[in-house]
Amino acid sequence: MSSTTVESTPSPRGAETPAQRSGDGSSSGPGPSFLRVLNSEFIKFRTLLSTLILLGSTVVVMVGFGALSAWGTGQFSQAAAQDPEAGARFAAQGGDLAVSVPTSGIAFAQLILGSLGVLLMSSEFTTGMARSTFAAVPKRTPAFAAKLVVVVLTSFVITAASTLVAGFVSVPILDNYGLGLDLGSSQSVKLLVVNSIYVAAVAAIGMALGTLIRNSAGGIMSLVGLFFVAPIAFQLIPGDFFVEARKYLPGNTVEPLTAVEHLPDTLEAWQAGLVLGAWVVVPVLLAGILLKKRDV
Amino acid sequence: MIEARGLTKVYGDKTAVAGVNFTVEAGRVTGFLGPNGAGKSTTMRMIMGLDRPTSGSVTVNGSPLAGHAAPLRDVGALLDAKAVHTSRSAYNHLLAMAATHSIPKKRVHEVIEMTGLAEVAKKKVGGFSLGMGQRLGIAAALLGNPQTVILDEPVNGLDPEGVVWVRNLVKYLASEGRTVFLSSHLMSEMAVTADHLIVIGRGKIIADAPIQEIITGQGQGRTRVRTDQPDRLMQLLAGTGVSVEARERELLEVTGLDPRQIATAALENHVMIYELTPLQASLEEAYMELTKDEVEYHSLITTGAVPVEAGGN
Repeated sequence: MSSTTVESTPSPRGAETPAQRSGDGSSSGPGPSFLRVLNSEFIKFRTLLSTLILLGSTVVVMVGFGALSAWGTGQFSQAAAQDPEAGARFAAQGGDLAVSVPTSGIAFAQLILGSLGVLLMSSEFTTGMARSTFAAVPKRTPAFAAKLVVVVLTSFVITAASTLVAGFVSVPILDNYGLGLDLGSSQSVKLLVVNSIYVAAVAAIGMALGTLIRNSAGGIMSLVGLFFVAPIAFQLIPGDFFVEARKYLPGNTVEPLTAVEHLPDTLEAWQAGLVLGAWVVVPVLLAGILLKKRDV
Repeated sequence: MIEARGLTKVYGDKTAVAGVNFTVEAGRVTGFLGPNGAGKSTTMRMIMGLDRPTSGSVTVNGSPLAGHAAPLRDVGALLDAKAVHTSRSAYNHLLAMAATHSIPKKRVHEVIEMTGLAEVAKKKVGGFSLGMGQRLGIAAALLGNPQTVILDEPVNGLDPEGVVWVRNLVKYLASEGRTVFLSSHLMSEMAVTADHLIVIGRGKIIADAPIQEIITGQGQGRTRVRTDQPDRLMQLLAGTGVSVEARERELLEVTGLDPRQIATAALENHVMIYELTPLQASLEEAYMELTKDEVEYHSLITTGAVPVEAGGN
């Protein structure tokens, strides 16, 4: 190359020239192993401001609802102490309302983190990022699995952490009203773990919907339909079928899983676990298979 | 080396790519030229494994991209300047891409420097101009220092400095022995960049030859002659395989004779000629000639071709 062109010719080479390689396409250097793809997906996850905002909102909502609920429960118990009618109602609730105070914001956490699950995948398609992602990982499944791991783990950790913080904030408030909350009790731990797993499951379902629908609004609407509209609709439609079917909605599996004793019109705990598992596995598998088959 | 064999892509009832065969060799810049909708991008997406061929196959160095152990280190592609999440910064985008193959951060900084993105690397890609997006796409394509580089319309939206830069870059990459496959619908750009040309129209390969051959192969050479005795010269030159057209009062265009033959005829007959210019068909003309029947979207209004009343409806 003559010296006159050197200035305007960018050098794309790193340490080695590809001309030195054998021409058979065998590459020199590591390829996309699962851990590397996982690392990449985690970088993608934490470098989006919108993701961080959604995670922050989850914590704020969970802690805020925990505190509000602690206050409300305290007021309720005070009323119960003075008014026999309210006292009867209080007793009917099982007496120990305090234990579910830290997870009282879970309905909102599932909506936010479920939407995050949708967005993380649908935005790949709406922005065109998917072309970069799947050109780097043309087998596609490792990238899908890595993203799923990131979504599920973060949703679990954020829900568990914000439940814990909500608990710490609620204890002194409840204490004010003479109500005790032991965050280390087996029921407290059970509520924290089951609800965190549940929210992680919702996020996985969200991601599967985002992969299948590839559209943010459509994915989130489907999620809302499944978790918020269907339970109400099933309740309004008369007929035994819908009473029965309602039990199998993913949103109605948490109650039997965390109940101290079996409640009427709900599944057994082991059934609920299986139903929730199926609600995750079926859409995720379908999404994974179709993602591999469809054009990006 | 990229090899397509019977490569076909059908979307619904529309055949985007119809059983094409071609080979893109290493060590030279191969241009992929065709009108809009001819199947260039679809073909490139199939090379990258993003679209599945309806039938046939396309391989890079002998195997489809999914079969490569380290795809990013073998094949780098700019398919779409906006194949990036708009809310992520250029640096983080490249970092995430690099992480899939354990490409060091040093290399990320290198490609950012190389593509002139250093000043905007920390900014969100959503605010990038088309030209900056192209530069980022090229940076991503070069990230793995790949043996094969595929660029779909790389000069779109680039400023003149950027156009020259891409031109030099692809030539340099080819000179290093890499396979460079470059698409464009701009004939003028191809004429100065590519060594070899594959012309596609309506999903079919129309031509696959060195660029010089495509230019010279289309129509014979013409010669422009100015003389003060055009009628006399026309009579002198007339013969089989020769056509002479009078363009202006003293200007002729001769096809079928080379300038020396024209000059000889004029000299022997004492006809003065005051201009004798060999005309080479431009790539543009060659391209129009090649693709005239294969253009997907004909412009309705062409000079003189459409009657005035058909203009509005």
